[in-house]
Amino acid sequence: MKPKVCILRTDGTNCDEELFYAFEKFGAAPQYVHVNQLRAKSKKLKAFQILALPGGFSYGDDVASGKILAVELISYLKDQLQEFISKNGLVIGICNGFQTLVRTGLLPFGHLGKMEATLAQNESGHFECRWIRLKIEKSRCPFLNLYLKPGLPTYSKPGLDNGLENGVFELAVNHGEGRFFANNETIATMEQSNLVVFRYVDGKGKPTGHYPENPNGSINAIAGVCDPTGRILGLMPHPEKFVDITQYPNWRRGKVTEPHGAFIFKQLIRFATV
Amino acid sequence: MIHQISITAKSKKDPLGQDLLAEIKRTLGINNIKNIRTAKIYRLQGVSLKKAQEFTQKVLFEPIDQVMSFDKPLFNDAGQKIEVAYKLGVMNPEVGSLLKSAIDLGINLEAADASRQYAFYGGLTKEQLAEIAVRLLVNKTVEQIIEKPPKNLIITGKVQKTEKILIRNMNDSQLVKLSKDKLFLNLEEMKVIQNYFKKIKRDPTDCEIEVLAQTWSEHCVHKTFKAKLIVDGKVKKPLIERIKATIKNNPKIVVSAFVDNAGVIDFYDGFAINGKVETHNSPSAIEPYGGAMTGSGGVFRDILGTGQGAKVVASTDIFCFAPPNTSSKLIPPGCLPPDYLLRKVVAGVRDYGNRVGIPTNNGSVHFHQDFRAKPTVAAGAYGIVPKKQAKKQWPKKGDLILTIGGRTGRDGIHGATFSSGEMTDRTISVSGSAVQIGNAIEEKRMIDAILTLRQNGLVRTLTDCGAGGYSSAVGEMGQKIGARVYLEKVLLKYTGLAPWEIFLSESQERMVLCVSPRQIKKVKEICQLYNVEVTAIGKFDGSKRLKVLYKDQVVCDLAMKFLHEGLPQRKMIGTTAKKQIKEKLPAKNIDLENIWQKIMSHGNVCSKEPIVRMYDHTVQGTSSLPPLCGVNQDAPNDGAVIRPILKKPYGLVITHGLNPSLNKIDPYKGSIWAILEAVSNYVAVGGNLKDAALIDNFIWSFPDEKSLADLDKSVDACIKMAKILKMPFVSGKDSLSSTYRFRDGRILKIPPVLLISVFGKIPDVNKTVSSDFKKIGSTIVLVGKPDINNLGGTVYFDLTDSTSPNVSSPDLQPTTKVLSTITSVIRNGEVMSVHDISEGGLAGSLAEMCFGGDCGAKIDLANIKNYQKIRYSKKMENSVNVTDTPGVGKTRPDFILFNETPGTFLVEVANPQLAQKLFAKVPHYILGQTIADQSIIVAQGSKKIVRIDVGKLKQSWQKPMKEIFHYEA
Repeated sequence: MKPKVCILRTDGTNCDEELFYAFEKFGAAPQYVHVNQLRAKSKKLKAFQILALPGGFSYGDDVASGKILAVELISYLKDQLQEFISKNGLVIGICNGFQTLVRTGLLPFGHLGKMEATLAQNESGHFECRWIRLKIEKSRCPFLNLYLKPGLPTYSKPGLDNGLENGVFELAVNHGEGRFFANNETIATMEQSNLVVFRYVDGKGKPTGHYPENPNGSINAIAGVCDPTGRILGLMPHPEKFVDITQYPNWRRGKVTEPHGAFIFKQLIRFATV
Repeated sequence: MIHQISITAKSKKDPLGQDLLAEIKRTLGINNIKNIRTAKIYRLQGVSLKKAQEFTQKVLFEPIDQVMSFDKPLFNDAGQKIEVAYKLGVMNPEVGSLLKSAIDLGINLEAADASRQYAFYGGLTKEQLAEIAVRLLVNKTVEQIIEKPPKNLIITGKVQKTEKILIRNMNDSQLVKLSKDKLFLNLEEMKVIQNYFKKIKRDPTDCEIEVLAQTWSEHCVHKTFKAKLIVDGKVKKPLIERIKATIKNNPKIVVSAFVDNAGVIDFYDGFAINGKVETHNSPSAIEPYGGAMTGSGGVFRDILGTGQGAKVVASTDIFCFAPPNTSSKLIPPGCLPPDYLLRKVVAGVRDYGNRVGIPTNNGSVHFHQDFRAKPTVAAGAYGIVPKKQAKKQWPKKGDLILTIGGRTGRDGIHGATFSSGEMTDRTISVSGSAVQIGNAIEEKRMIDAILTLRQNGLVRTLTDCGAGGYSSAVGEMGQKIGARVYLEKVLLKYTGLAPWEIFLSESQERMVLCVSPRQIKKVKEICQLYNVEVTAIGKFDGSKRLKVLYKDQVVCDLAMKFLHEGLPQRKMIGTTAKKQIKEKLPAKNIDLENIWQKIMSHGNVCSKEPIVRMYDHTVQGTSSLPPLCGVNQDAPNDGAVIRPILKKPYGLVITHGLNPSLNKIDPYKGSIWAILEAVSNYVAVGGNLKDAALIDNFIWSFPDEKSLADLDKSVDACIKMAKILKMPFVSGKDSLSSTYRFRDGRILKIPPVLLISVFGKIPDVNKTVSSDFKKIGSTIVLVGKPDINNLGGTVYFDLTDSTSPNVSSPDLQPTTKVLSTITSVIRNGEVMSVHDISEGGLAGSLAEMCFGGDCGAKIDLANIKNYQKIRYSKKMENSVNVTDTPGVGKTRPDFILFNETPGTFLVEVANPQLAQKLFAKVPHYILGQTIADQSIIVAQGSKKIVRIDVGKLKQSWQKPMKEIFHYEA
């Protein structure tokens, strides 16, 4: 059965269509769901296997990016969310979705209602649209871990090429508030618990704080994180914008044989299916 | 009581403060500031202390990286502080979100506001602070400095009465006075209005006068383009008729042209695509951030308001400013400095387009000193709609008039009339209310709701409340059958608006829908789902009148026939004025290495990457050819290719062209240049002109006899080129107010701009190319015949203080063949890269291709020769001493490198044999090849001309915009 994906929309959501397309392309059954429908219970989260929060500017990113939506989710959907997560639902938040998850407290520690990290304004002071390199870390995220523990189902390695080895790949970032920040203890706990899933890297594949390879000045070059269960994932870059070859700016220069965002969806969908 | 919460970052690093500091140093030369900190200030009214604290903790304050101060000031150690807020009555978009969150938390909050505080550390004087405030921080049109905390955030006011305007008894000078600064109608038009009311034996209301002024404004009705013309003694057809007649050049592709809010052409699989380009010059001149925002918002809803509603899939932005380093002494009174305008306009486009989620894929920035009084700010948008819902419909009797989207306020009154007037030093203070602050999210949710309504077949027709508000929307929709509006049903932002203000207030975030009464329930349900307000305010009643009521008061009652047909057709006279431009050519022994770098740094050539990177061009996932690509993703492409249906390979190609500098010298040839540049860009990425259409924008001076003659020539150029290219114009816009009038009566004419946009379809985005060189050792071919005799208006001439009346005049006979050949070699996958030649010439294009390929090039100019005898003589050279006779073999290498002939291309091909074969039937010149060494080596036969480092060129090319935008890459 195709896993059902709830693509959550609200005022200012705008990367929902490409996210829908990516899920559909790799075999899931996505549906657009407005937050008002969940509030009114005309649609229920428990009918889905994956909850996906797309990018955009929910409520204009007023006060702080994703903040108003986070307040809304905590105020009205706390129970539905907790039930969804406890019943092994998967959550992915991309860009504004990631900002929202962090502001609900679901990332990095899964504490709904307790914010423990932030995505602050880019160090450059402005919105940035560019392609950057990322590296996948050994993390708790089960469907993206290249070094899986024995006993868990095994998946194919992501189809990486373009001469980029060791889990390095390219995606687009488009955000003004993507600088991951938390206090030292929180960062240390996250690192020890392997909650960092993606980092910005330089041409040699090394994590970097240097602009523009690290487009926002994120601490420890953090680009994406998961919660301790590994079932809630958030990242600033946009895998859904690189699921077809022609979405890559330099596809005409050859070399790319598989779109770099594809493996994230493939793995997520396979994991949701078993 | 109002609670005041100030929030700043814990860290001393303050990106906003750092950016401001750099800007102060760069533009004001104030160097005694050590540091700038910024804070956000929120004010909450009508809430208990406990609840205000709860709201602060849950919504406003994030202790992880912020410091907060509740009811107490921050930055007590700062030397100077200043707080900047929106004026009361200017809608602050953030307030809606604050109120929403309060409701979500069950907190009773009556009113709120948000503002920003700047704290300056170091020895800043009060005078310096005032200068910083005026020049960089506060736009008095919409913002204010908060000296004392406000006592009340709720705006209230008494409803103003409808007034009678005693027009019947006015003499000519009274009529002119009534029109001046407000109605912008001429005496003849005022008299027509006077006579109408004499005939019906009553005086008009203020609302009726406003409705007439708006409906008859140049902005809405395009009087000049409809006028009877006599140019240099010859009777000519109205401009608009000539342009519309181009539809017959390729009727097969046209779905609708010049009848709807955008031009519509055929796409694939039962879809159509639409395009529209709008200018927003007047608002952008006085409030660049808000003006640019509403420019984007306006053109998006033009796309949305086409047929039964199209989805916006792309946008473009084209700006003209004075050079950023223009001395403040040269800026006319009441005008804003160009670098401020540039930064603010870019920020407006960024904040609107990004938030609505429309990719900004294509654009350009041009500079000319004469834009110092008024910039050109053009925004284009493109959309997709099922073909069966792509045509304009008319309301049926009994249909409801619904208003959907943002509420009505006093901002945005008089936009249509004000945009039709000249700019003076009083424009800012007189017309300040005509600028709205866009609310992108308001428009976004309205778009979501309307597209859902359209998918459910619930919309009969719709239009926007842009220029003229309900007056234009209802007036236009109801022009055939009549309409009745009840103004008291309109939802307002605050009380106190006069009825005419309600009827005329504009917004990009509000539209009027025409819906059958049977559908109203479903419409309301869908709107509610998207948090969008929708209200029935009247109906199309079959009366053939425009009747507007406010409670039991009749505010307006006009015959539609008079409103829409009463305006007399203007008769206008154009007279060509002789232009006196002397020929003065650059020195022959010019240092080419030096001038080449200067050309790369010229505003019209230099890299716009810092701007491009602030616009989201990847949203919607449709980009197939982005603005920049190449090894380091920093080389510019000629156009945008997007894939509006993600599941399909079909492409929408978008390009544009303009050259104000050339238009100023020669409006006819300059216009030919603009069109050829636009279509050259189009074919350079792989587009086919048979499947494309044109959009015009004439941004011209107030049409006096001379300007009108120039405009007529520009239109003639458009018609001629459209015919040669077999292409239709499907949409267009004129903005004839590019004039600044000084107090002493002197006039500054802004350079005439003909902006041509091209959009169309291609069956497969895989068959397109980018401009970056792909391989080392490839053959570089120049395709098309360069005009190396006429360099008037080129960047090269501008930089060398050279002048010539002769602008590029390409031989059009081979050009169409060149264009179709480029299309077919790309479609067949036979070439690796293509870049058209435009400002900066062959040298500029070659350099950009090398930047993209991260490589160099070795070329020989000997093949490109002067076939025609050069027209200049020694006498004209002024200071330059030229002794040899120009001709074969002795062609000036600088003229070959820097000519800007439109319709010529640099093409990368695998080898010379293939190049010969592909381009056998068109003029072409094999120039050389790409090399691994990072230099460009130019020879002319056995003579070495120049060898230049690619890195140096790139540095020169990237420097100007990096400085303006404080961009460190």
